[in-house]
Amino acid sequence: MTTSKKKADQAEQEQAKEIARSSKASNKITTSSTAEYFSKNLQQVGFSSQIKATLTTLKEAVDNALDACEEHGILPEVHVTIEKMGAGSIKNSDQVKIRVEDNGPGIDPDDVPKVFGEYLASSKFGRGRCSRGQQGIGISAATTWAQLTSASGAKVMTRTKAMRKAVSCVVEVDIKHNRGVVKNRETIDGYRPHGTTVEFLFDGRVQLNGEAGLLSYLSGTTLVNPHLTLHYKVPDMELQTIERVSASMPEVPEATEPHPHTMKLGEFIAHSHLFGRVKVGAWLKRGFSRVTDGTLTDLIKGGMKASLLEKSVDSIHEAEFKELFTAIQNLQLLAPSTKSVLAIGEDALAKSIRRLGAVDFFSVVTRKPTICDFKPVQVEVAIARLEDRSIDPDSPVQVLRFANRVPLQFDKSACAIVQALTSVNWRSYGLAQPKESLPVGPYIIAVSVVSPFIKFKNASKETIDASDELVEEIRRALIQAGQKLSKHIRREEKANELEEKIRHIEQFGPILVQGICRIIEAPDSRRLKAEEGLRKLLGRDAEVAEQELEQAHSRLEAQKEKERERQPVVEAIEEGVLQEE
Amino acid sequence: MRSSRKAGESAASDQIPKLSKELCHRLLQDLERARRPVLYATKCSLDNALYNHRVGYLTPGDKKVATELNVSSVKKMSRAIFMLEILLRNIDTGAVNTKRELYYISKGEIKHNPLLKPLDFSDQPESDATIDFICEMLECYREELNCYANDRGGQTYSQQLVVTETLPDGDTAVIDLSKLGTSPFQPKNRPQSLKLTARKKIDFCLIIESEGTANTLVANGFTKRHNCILIGAQGVPSNAVRGWTKLIQDQLSVPLYFFGDLDAYTLQNIYRTLKAGSAASLIRNSDYSAPEVRFLGVLPEDIKKYDLNDYPVRESDAQEGRALKKAADALKNDPFFQDKRNKGVAQILKWLLEHKRRCEQQAYFTVDPRDPTMPEKIIVDKIKRGNYV
Repeated sequence: MTTSKKKADQAEQEQAKEIARSSKASNKITTSSTAEYFSKNLQQVGFSSQIKATLTTLKEAVDNALDACEEHGILPEVHVTIEKMGAGSIKNSDQVKIRVEDNGPGIDPDDVPKVFGEYLASSKFGRGRCSRGQQGIGISAATTWAQLTSASGAKVMTRTKAMRKAVSCVVEVDIKHNRGVVKNRETIDGYRPHGTTVEFLFDGRVQLNGEAGLLSYLSGTTLVNPHLTLHYKVPDMELQTIERVSASMPEVPEATEPHPHTMKLGEFIAHSHLFGRVKVGAWLKRGFSRVTDGTLTDLIKGGMKASLLEKSVDSIHEAEFKELFTAIQNLQLLAPSTKSVLAIGEDALAKSIRRLGAVDFFSVVTRKPTICDFKPVQVEVAIARLEDRSIDPDSPVQVLRFANRVPLQFDKSACAIVQALTSVNWRSYGLAQPKESLPVGPYIIAVSVVSPFIKFKNASKETIDASDELVEEIRRALIQAGQKLSKHIRREEKANELEEKIRHIEQFGPILVQGICRIIEAPDSRRLKAEEGLRKLLGRDAEVAEQELEQAHSRLEAQKEKERERQPVVEAIEEGVLQEE
Repeated sequence: MRSSRKAGESAASDQIPKLSKELCHRLLQDLERARRPVLYATKCSLDNALYNHRVGYLTPGDKKVATELNVSSVKKMSRAIFMLEILLRNIDTGAVNTKRELYYISKGEIKHNPLLKPLDFSDQPESDATIDFICEMLECYREELNCYANDRGGQTYSQQLVVTETLPDGDTAVIDLSKLGTSPFQPKNRPQSLKLTARKKIDFCLIIESEGTANTLVANGFTKRHNCILIGAQGVPSNAVRGWTKLIQDQLSVPLYFFGDLDAYTLQNIYRTLKAGSAASLIRNSDYSAPEVRFLGVLPEDIKKYDLNDYPVRESDAQEGRALKKAADALKNDPFFQDKRNKGVAQILKWLLEHKRRCEQQAYFTVDPRDPTMPEKIIVDKIKRGNYV
């Protein structure tokens, strides 16, 4: 073998080794950042279509604004502008600009990149509060979508009370490292004393009407946020302003620690990591609700080694965690507290429902907080009949669903709220209802479920999981509201009946008597006498109908009186609103 | 108002105007006194049906349906008086109409008198219901109000029968059925104006459920070989068939035989109606039933005797399933089937319920497929030997 040939062989072998190395490298397991994961799976968080992308972006921005205002006790005033800026880069899309401005506390400039550009950076994650946002995914996903579709991040302007001037910047997501990157930072003059403005430019489509439309979201949001003043400008519409109807801030209850019976083993172990080096006993007492010294004693009585409770939580093994978890699951614990839920309240709902349009009558019900599936839940229902008679009387009622005061607009049929709605027999309350379907007619039925631990079916929070207990609780609220509403309907039916009876008397009385007189050739004098007699007869029927109407009316009045006694505010509000109108 | 007539007693047609005027007088009197008129009508349903073999047909019991004049019924009453006026005018002038025509006549009246607009019928079922309501009030049948359905069924063949019809203008028409060739005589829905005579003694009258089979028998010479009357019933007997059979029974005194399928539907809906009337027509069964009709077949024993092709009832079929259910009810509640004199037909019903089989009248053609007169031979043989119920 010649030297040159040897060299050539050697080079070949080297090359083969290199290929093998590189192929090995391609099989290597790598980790990707949270941002990478979400940037590839934006459909999971509400960006599955262009229409949804627009709605989700708006929703996340408004939710954040409202949460921030509530956290700091500021009555929210939000300005929303949605514009179409021309054709988008994706086929059949528009370039959409959404701008949401609030009068909230503003964001510390150092936190701006975290808020808008970092996934899972949240002040609310797992805190067990009834806030709209929970995980810190949504707004960063909106930034990612804008970045992916139109190569521009979120444009943010913000100012806290402590700042002399407002800061303006563009935040982008560093997808590789799940980090927010600030660009074009500058200070600006003339901004409001405190507040935040965020602007997204992205590819999407604007759908205003229908259940999944932007207007439905905006009107739903105003319904469940009576304290919100909303200004919005959307394409093809003038600037609209919906004034707040309540000047009282909802008191967001303090967070509660999770209840051990609501957790799975993995969550239980992960929860321990938040506490670092503390004794197991202390961790159980501090980290969970309804775990007391008595509970620990019961654990020991049940066969648990007392020494385990003395160990540091970061030093125990998985087997020990499992033992502890199983033991706790088998203990009788008090149900979680219901103090952590937040209700809109019947009075505020009664006021707010009038903002949806002119209504004939309505009924509102706020159930007492209760426990469903070991989680505190509060359900509220508002039903209104719209004055608008152009609505097809055979079309299903308009259903507005809310979870923690955020409108739910997709995947209706699987939702606990819709399942509860169809399970109620609305016919007994005077509404038409095809079998096993939603009732029909010009009604709006709004159902709000509030809970620090709402179980959604997916990460984009579009549907509440339909557990039997929750469906039953919602159903009860609907039945109560239906009963209240039926008194209005009953009175209206009786009034219609009376009107119909009077019309019958006027129309058919003379025809009947004249016909009889023609057949027997009776003189006019007899005809007149018989007509008078018939009027008396049928008049008695009308009197009965009048009495029935009177009864229906008094029943309704009695119901209103009862409500007034319980909530003196409602009447004051109703009167006030009417006077204002 | 309470009817002055006894239960089951039908109004003669010349009485209708009188009864109507009486009714209107009472209505007017009550109204003049501001008293609420109440109208009573015979309840036409099985729970108000009585059967006595001496009478021979279903008669109404004492149950009445009361209609009180009030805000809810004033429209119905006004429409009834309006329609009654039209019908009385027809009786006066001798004009006749179908229900459909009356619907359009009422439309025309309303068109020419806008004051009557509230009475307008939106479709024919509404005007039909009004006519039925008038019949119930006056306890008459609609033919008495000159309202006729089209003449259906009852095509009759005979070489001996002569029909004399008195026309509304008093003229008479004589129809000799032997002169009609192969054409049948079509009886009217209200055959009471016909007089029957026989050119020669008639031995029997045979009513056949299937119109087609009746035609076949005639074409094969049945009426030539036998002194008889042969009628095709065409399914559930119409008023024409029922009244016509009654007329033959009353005027000619010949034995009558019914020949049809062996199934629950035929026994209850066709044979029973022909023989004893129906629950829905309690007030007119007296004129529309022929209690002397006998059930010639197909009898259950014929299946074995003649080796007839029968087959199981398909209970999954809605109509057949319903007929069986109705048969079970009939055995429990129908006074006709409960009467001892009708034990024979009741037993056939029981047999049908038990065996759940049926056999069609045309099955007689299987006995000797090459002899077209075989069904005729069997029928005549059965009559001769008294093999009927």
